[in-house]
Amino acid sequence: MSPQFVDFDADGRLDLVAATFDGSPKWARGTAAGFEQPVHVLDRDGARIVMNAWWNFDAKKWDATTRCDPPGAADGHLTSAWACDFDFDGDLDLLLGDHRAGQVMWRRNDGTSARPQFAPQNELVQADGKPLVVPGTVTTLRLADVDRDGRDDLVVGSMGDAYGDAPGGGVTVHLDGGDGKVRRFGPPIVWVEPSAKGQAAPTRPDSGLYMDVVDHDADGDLDLVVGAYSHWTPPVPQLTAAQQQRAAELQRQLEALEQKVEAIYAELDRATATLAEAERDAKFRELLSARQPELKGLSEQRAAAERELDPLVPGVKRQSFVWLYENVTPK
Amino acid sequence: MPRSPFPSVVSCLALAAFAVAQQPPQFAAPVRLQAGGKLLGEGRLYPSPVAHDVNSDGRLDLVVGDLRGRITVALRTASGYAAEAPMRAADGKDIDFHNW
Repeated sequence: MSPQFVDFDADGRLDLVAATFDGSPKWARGTAAGFEQPVHVLDRDGARIVMNAWWNFDAKKWDATTRCDPPGAADGHLTSAWACDFDFDGDLDLLLGDHRAGQVMWRRNDGTSARPQFAPQNELVQADGKPLVVPGTVTTLRLADVDRDGRDDLVVGSMGDAYGDAPGGGVTVHLDGGDGKVRRFGPPIVWVEPSAKGQAAPTRPDSGLYMDVVDHDADGDLDLVVGAYSHWTPPVPQLTAAQQQRAAELQRQLEALEQKVEAIYAELDRATATLAEAERDAKFRELLSARQPELKGLSEQRAAAERELDPLVPGVKRQSFVWLYENVTPK
Repeated sequence: MPRSPFPSVVSCLALAAFAVAQQPPQFAAPVRLQAGGKLLGEGRLYPSPVAHDVNSDGRLDLVVGDLRGRITVALRTASGYAAEAPMRAADGKDIDFHNW
């Protein structure tokens, strides 16, 4: 959820726009008394703006639709939005990022900013002459004139592998070489390389890079402020024989606890396997709720074992921070 | 008027500017930002910062959203950032982009 301050309804006051993991953009109207609580941005038919996956707040479950798909779209999950006049017609459209397949789309506003009429379907954003697909999938987007040529360029953050050892996220820029009437984004220029991970300490943002482009130090060039997770593994200490033995015991305990948790879920799966889908979900939740005390106990045991094991055999650390990349390009 | 066989100064400058633009900026090694003596964004689920002058004092503050749909503000001071505080809505409650 990457907030944007923008006068979304053209009333002279800044509003807040952001898409969230529920699959849709929302906006919080700015008033003289402050921001109202956010509501969904709706299309001209009163429907939520989505790609495919969306959280159904009424049914309290994930749903999927193809009603917003442009031709050639992959299965997507909208989690980022940026209000901008994408088609240069004087009103604010929505640039949309896809957390699932890495697509970038936009939603055309056929009305005005004050009286928006968002089209019922998304359109694919092209870069380098083809639909843009961001490796590692999209975290957040910005339109900003990074090369100071009077045209806003596309800046994209990427997620990368959020938990494992596979490459993490980065930041890329697509310069706009268009004529001011149609955007023509170029090939990706890497501003922050996707992380290879593997550090012994947090030295950079590794996954889930949510960047903003800003002159942070007021020196006339654009820096990056990046919220993200860092992944690192502290060096393994030299262990005594007793410590090695204890570490092995704790690792066996953790494996046993994991097997107990898996056995509970397998039992619930077996107990609900023959039910119809809607009934199965409800029954699964009911049975799961009944097993919560047991699962909580196992979780506490696991946490205690991990706490004791970690100084002996440090595990991978994963923590979120906000980083500054200061632009030091010679002027 | 016959056309010069040599590129004009203007087109050379344009080409040079284009070539420069294709090069990414040079960034210093990243550093973690702090707010109120704490690491900014630590412990948040997918912190997403945006720079904005929230209190109209001429300094860009950092507004940080997260996966849960909550927003905090770290006001810029002369020496850094003040401690993060939740952004309030007009109803006096924390502004909440309530996620799924």
